[in-house]
Amino acid sequence: MSATCEFQAKDYKSDLKPIWCPGCGDFSVVQGIYRALAAIGRPPHEIAFVSGIGCSSRIPGYTTAYGFNSVHGRSLPIAQGIKLANPDLLVLAAGGDGDGFSIGGGHIAHLIRRNVDITYIVMDNQIYGLTKGQLSPTSQKGRVTCTSRFGSLEEPVNPLLYVLAYGAGFVAQASPTDLAGMAAVIEEAIRYPGFAFVNIQSPCVTYGEEAQQIRGLKAISESLVSLGHNPADRLAAMDLAQHYGEKMHLGVFYRNPEPAPTYDALVRERQALLSKDALPKENILDLFIKK
Amino acid sequence: MRKDLVFGMAGSGGDGIVSAGDSLLQAAAAEGYHGVMTKSFGSQIRGGESSCRVRIATEPILNPGGNLDVAVALNWEDFLKFGAELPVSGNTVVIYEAATGIKETEIPLVGVTPLQVIAVPIAAMAKETAGTERAKNTVVLGLIAGWFGIGAVAVMKGIRKKLAKKGEELVNANQRAFDAGRAFAMEHPLKTSMAVMPSETKGQVKLITDGNDMCAAAAIFAGCQFFGGYPITPSTEIMQFFTDHVWKYGGAVLQAEDEIAGIGAAVGASFAGKKSMTATSGPGLSLKSEMMGLASIAELPLVIVDVQRGGPSTGLPTKTEQSDLFAACFSAHGDVIRPVLAPTSVADTFRITIEAFNIAEYYQTPVIILSDQEIASRKETLDPIDTSQFKIINRQEPHGADLVDYKRFKQTDNHISPISHPGMLGGTYLASGIEHVESGAPTNSGSVHQRMNDKRTKKFDPLKDRKDLFEVLGNPDAPIAMIAWGSIAGVCREALAMAQAEGLNVKLLVPYLLYPVAEGVYNEFFTSVQKGLIIEQTHLAQTFKLLRMHIDLPKGVKSLARSGANPFLPGEIVAALHHLLSELQRSHEGQLQPQE
Repeated sequence: MSATCEFQAKDYKSDLKPIWCPGCGDFSVVQGIYRALAAIGRPPHEIAFVSGIGCSSRIPGYTTAYGFNSVHGRSLPIAQGIKLANPDLLVLAAGGDGDGFSIGGGHIAHLIRRNVDITYIVMDNQIYGLTKGQLSPTSQKGRVTCTSRFGSLEEPVNPLLYVLAYGAGFVAQASPTDLAGMAAVIEEAIRYPGFAFVNIQSPCVTYGEEAQQIRGLKAISESLVSLGHNPADRLAAMDLAQHYGEKMHLGVFYRNPEPAPTYDALVRERQALLSKDALPKENILDLFIKK
Repeated sequence: MRKDLVFGMAGSGGDGIVSAGDSLLQAAAAEGYHGVMTKSFGSQIRGGESSCRVRIATEPILNPGGNLDVAVALNWEDFLKFGAELPVSGNTVVIYEAATGIKETEIPLVGVTPLQVIAVPIAAMAKETAGTERAKNTVVLGLIAGWFGIGAVAVMKGIRKKLAKKGEELVNANQRAFDAGRAFAMEHPLKTSMAVMPSETKGQVKLITDGNDMCAAAAIFAGCQFFGGYPITPSTEIMQFFTDHVWKYGGAVLQAEDEIAGIGAAVGASFAGKKSMTATSGPGLSLKSEMMGLASIAELPLVIVDVQRGGPSTGLPTKTEQSDLFAACFSAHGDVIRPVLAPTSVADTFRITIEAFNIAEYYQTPVIILSDQEIASRKETLDPIDTSQFKIINRQEPHGADLVDYKRFKQTDNHISPISHPGMLGGTYLASGIEHVESGAPTNSGSVHQRMNDKRTKKFDPLKDRKDLFEVLGNPDAPIAMIAWGSIAGVCREALAMAQAEGLNVKLLVPYLLYPVAEGVYNEFFTSVQKGLIIEQTHLAQTFKLLRMHIDLPKGVKSLARSGANPFLPGEIVAALHHLLSELQRSHEGQLQPQE
């Protein structure tokens, strides 16, 4: 761990100019991430930021850190390898709803049950933007897109309910409608010792429907604090999460009051416990001597 | 007396065939012999047919051997399921369970009259001496000790140790079963004695291990600190070895949720600065291929082991084949060179695995180790290896001036750019699957893409000059040649020795580096060649085609290829070489000089 020194949000902004459409919600998300990182104060070189593929997955490039813009759906396996290889790093993963809940949908359950200390931010816009407007796993049933001309026939995935059911220790939702709230939630997620999930309703200005733009989101947004929700109450969190799609609850749905040990910490413990049994590497073949 | 003996045993799953093979191999090692043991199963987990082959010799062994000298059938139905894997010839002594009720003159082996056929009441002897038929395998070991002189003391010493915790009575029961087998053999001597000469190296330390364990141990020796994988036959033991040992060296292992996550985590660990590895078999290699492309463009070191089995798809999951060659060389999308190495034995798996890490680290690239089921699963006795002779290479990291305005993918004279990792001050960059400029920033530029493809392919040029990754055996000027890799190289090494003993002027090229194809090495090898065989266990002659893609093969060089689970025998390869010789003599009468 490094000595804490003062960092400001701008210290995490890279020189790359985002390719996002003007007005894209992801501009706010990256600002929220800069602010959260500044509040935490880890120097950029101690941060690894991994993404998959999609508009939102460009985000590590716009952040000063060790970035990894990998392949579609696989930010979590890579982030996990980084964290296990070097648990001292602050590891973030990010991507879109298609990346996280469709092509890469199989990974999140396992990251959650392992409780690897990673913060996973999904920029959920209910559409495939980079490939120009196809149905995504969070698109509402009946949604008309270029791959659903007559309306989608499928129920959407409910990301919040999924991760709560999988047993995530920290689950929150944010939106560009409240940038300060978003930064605070991301900061809290990073500080949580274990796997933390933040769903961000980030509007697609090009392919999103009217109701999914900032004005529409504001109309359905409700702060969990103002509802008096107790984030230690997992069942209440699941109850609220059922309204995903109709309501946009902002804030922390669930924070495990007694966080379980993280996988990376357990790995360290095991290394420490077993290191005394190590044969010198140059003698490793002695394991094969039959006496 | 014999210098070399090949045993083949088969029975059903609960008969303890493999455990008997293990005991025999360990006893042979304790008595100073060289030994190789291969196992073959049906794909059932319990029950079903099970077999092993143990070859024991006074000289180092190159392969599991061809025709059996001794065949042991605990029942015929299971024995016959192994077909060409347990070939019986006119020189084989066949021992079988008398309770099968089949007469010695009526055993169900078509078209062959074995040297001698002996029905032994194995089950009855086990029941009588040990009180249970489960001691059948110990009776068999007693028969082997009596007839062939192997393990008279060492077998029981081993069994005693193995069963020590289970109580004196069990040990004694096994001793009685073993003695009964040995006494039966003494009372019924073979028509022709087949006892093996005592070894001159008795008492020297020997290692016993298989290719998978050797590969994992070599990886840890090379500094590998992360393994991500998913269970798949026949590679899983590599992950198992890591779960037993890597923690001790400050490393970690992840049994991931799928093949993609396994390699993904390994890619992540490499990005984080650690040497990392994954292992799989054919179907898993297909799943991992997108990540391999990512590691190539992001220039991340990574070792991928593919223990080949019969394919495509589930294919023959417990049998060996070499048919993943194309997949190993070409399964990446885009223009990619990804080095492919192949060990030929358990012993050289150590060196090849270290080479794979060295190449991965030096060239910042994924490297595939193309092992196969036979090497991975067979056990060999080995003389101790002096590990101090192996050089370990680590990736080149940026220092000082490199870290001022650091460019991760900087053009350099050798096309290799110093690589930073998270935690290194001044080294932040964006790794990506998207094409990038020297800093790592994404680009769509055609000219940058051309330049970066140049960088990522030209960096491998020196690899093609690595003559030490090839072995030429026999007379370097011979007009007749063989090329073989992987486990098939071992068969060809023995065929070479046999052919030379018969006066053939022949040579053998064994490539350990399969890809990129080292054109220069092959062209030099082919200078003297008029006739030759490229010998491989693939249906499509993949090696032959891969070489023809890169090299103008001499006209007389042909393919000898067949599907997996149909082993090559050294004798048939020698016969094929004789055929080449007669062709050569017809076309070039009088030019051929017998080898001295």
